[in-house]
Amino acid sequence: MLDKIQKDREKRQSAWEAVINYFRKRSLYMLHYCTGCGAIELPPIMTSRWDMERFGIAPMATPRQADILLVTGYASQKTIKRLIYTYEQMPNPKWVLGFGSCTINGGIYWDSYNVINKLDRYIPIDLFISGCMPRPQSILSAMKKLQEMIGKGEAKGYERYKQNYEWYKKNQRKLLERETPFLDGGEK
Amino acid sequence: MKIKEMLENIKKEFPYIGTEIQEEKQARIYVCNDKFLNILTYLRNEKFEHLANIFAIDWIDEKEFEINYNLWSYEYLVSIIVKVRIPRDKAKIPTALNIWDHAQIYEREVHEFFGIEFIGNPDLSPLFLHNWKDLPPMRKDFDTEAFSRKAFDVGEREGEK
Amino acid sequence: MIDRFTELKKIAQKDGHVLYNIFFGPNHPGMNGNFGYVLDMVGSQVVDVRLNAGQLHRGFEKLMEKRLWVQNFSLIPRVCVVDPDPNEVAYATTAEKLADIDIPKRAKYIRTITLEMSRMTSLLMGMGSVGGATGLYTIMYWMLSDRDYLLDMFEWLTGGRVYHIFNLIGGVRRDFPEGWIDKILELMDYFENKLKEYDHLLYNNPIIVKRLEGLAPITGDEAKKWGVTGPNLRATGVRSDIRIDYPYAAYNEVEVNIPIQEDAKGDALARAIQVRLEFEESINIIRKAIKQLPEGPVRVKIGNPLKLRIPKGEAYTKIESSKGEFGYYIVSDGGIKPYRVSVRGPSLPVGLFLCKRDLPKIRIEDVALWMNTYSICAPDFDR
Repeated sequence: MLDKIQKDREKRQSAWEAVINYFRKRSLYMLHYCTGCGAIELPPIMTSRWDMERFGIAPMATPRQADILLVTGYASQKTIKRLIYTYEQMPNPKWVLGFGSCTINGGIYWDSYNVINKLDRYIPIDLFISGCMPRPQSILSAMKKLQEMIGKGEAKGYERYKQNYEWYKKNQRKLLERETPFLDGGEK
Repeated sequence: MKIKEMLENIKKEFPYIGTEIQEEKQARIYVCNDKFLNILTYLRNEKFEHLANIFAIDWIDEKEFEINYNLWSYEYLVSIIVKVRIPRDKAKIPTALNIWDHAQIYEREVHEFFGIEFIGNPDLSPLFLHNWKDLPPMRKDFDTEAFSRKAFDVGEREGEK
Repeated sequence: MIDRFTELKKIAQKDGHVLYNIFFGPNHPGMNGNFGYVLDMVGSQVVDVRLNAGQLHRGFEKLMEKRLWVQNFSLIPRVCVVDPDPNEVAYATTAEKLADIDIPKRAKYIRTITLEMSRMTSLLMGMGSVGGATGLYTIMYWMLSDRDYLLDMFEWLTGGRVYHIFNLIGGVRRDFPEGWIDKILELMDYFENKLKEYDHLLYNNPIIVKRLEGLAPITGDEAKKWGVTGPNLRATGVRSDIRIDYPYAAYNEVEVNIPIQEDAKGDALARAIQVRLEFEESINIIRKAIKQLPEGPVRVKIGNPLKLRIPKGEAYTKIESSKGEFGYYIVSDGGIKPYRVSVRGPSLPVGLFLCKRDLPKIRIEDVALWMNTYSICAPDFDR
């Protein structure tokens, strides 16, 4: 008997979730935070030529009202700190788009001392866009893809962050709150 | 005024400097450590009023740093680079703040990336790097690839569910 | 003037609640790029400013020491995202000076044309951002969509919209494709007609004039003393242009008329108008360069680029970019990699030092305008 009630509830919930997802995917607010050089391709996408508003995506100035965090390019050590603050300020559900090769594995900055290599070790990423820098068309197609994923309920990065909170925090702390030099010969 | 005459004039004033002409509008002046401020002041008064930037070169084999003052004259349209060598160990050099105001920010940058002390500069706090504990990164003995591997390689997703 | 604000600050410090901080950037809609100021405020008056730089630091100068001479061309345009071509040309010219390579004349002209095009994209962005910071979004939308015409031309020529990686040591990568020159001339006519509309929309707009007039003025002598270069220096009435004073590419053959405003005041309005004049001059330069374009090869042979060695030596090249003097000082020890590359970015003295003088005199709503009229580009001082 109890099983049946449980099952019924789950069924209702998943039906409700599907309806919610349908609406969610058509009204997305993208946080207006230019982390790297990819930011230069955002104005053309927002304005008349490519006009992402026809897909229901609009820029938003504050993290508290945003749904998408678009990490436009490489993240330096200072940026990653601000990215984490920003990400944690955004309410659930939230999605992160990694933009450009440098968010995937460091790209051309793979050996730089100030650019992190794999962004998804610090915050969960739902979708990567490859290229340096990606063309506006590929950004739009990524947005469409993200909408599809949201509609199907596949983009669950924020839940992954909750489940693996300790792991993500450990990685973040290793980088940001270090007390000893990483290499020999460091001073202080 | 041709650049050759100009350098000769400067040499008359300061006989201990070395000069080298790179091209028609570009020359370099080599100077020893304790006299360089006099030359900078002299050049500043001789219409070399634009300080384009200050940068350092790490000559690790010779155990020396070279501080470069990149000047430009709006009147003669000539670029002169004044080069000062200082020993690499506990590098120290007087500030050029009294000659150019914005030398402050360049010196702060050089201090952060090379660890060179500018005596008399009031604000040399770190500006670009976050919580930096290692060697100043622009020094030749700092290995950026090893740092990147050690700091940003967080391993595979073993701990993740 | 300053005394009043130090007084205000003192009052505020005594009265704990009056003074407050605003993090202007990095996550702020008025900020262009990932950079920030921490502003000490009394009411809506800025009284002090602290810097919050370094979010864009990638360690270019270090990375360039680790790459081959030719590989560096992929790193260099990323130093300034809005106006990437001056970096490539400055680096290539310096390396050619060191290796004593004389590039073909046609390559010089192609460099001149691409430089001016890149300049125009950046100036359009500059004009648009003035509109964006005052809330007149029509201006921004127009400029950005017009900028895309130029980006399409770049894509046709080089294959890249934003980063072109078009220059090499010894010339440029390829010649103009067929039909490209007709199209660019057509585009220049389009822009010339558009200029009148820009004037109506932007420079005769009473809101813009009122907001910009008298904002953060600077005299010519002060500007020289504080390291301000390029259009911002010319807006104070100083006739100085590296394209004439220290020519590179084909500027010794193509005539450049420096646009100078009469009775230039050096305030934000003068700087904004200067951008428009520079834009007009760029159109003229492109037309002249295409008229004089010589025939011939576009590149000299340098052998295997992966084994390219540049002889021992050091040299400096400065380039007039849309923001001011871009300079590359390169030291070579005769190896396959540069020994040291030092970059002189035009925004550094303005964005990190002049702000301490200018910002404490203005109100919070003008900070974005101040940044945009000085066309501060964060990547070039963070590097």
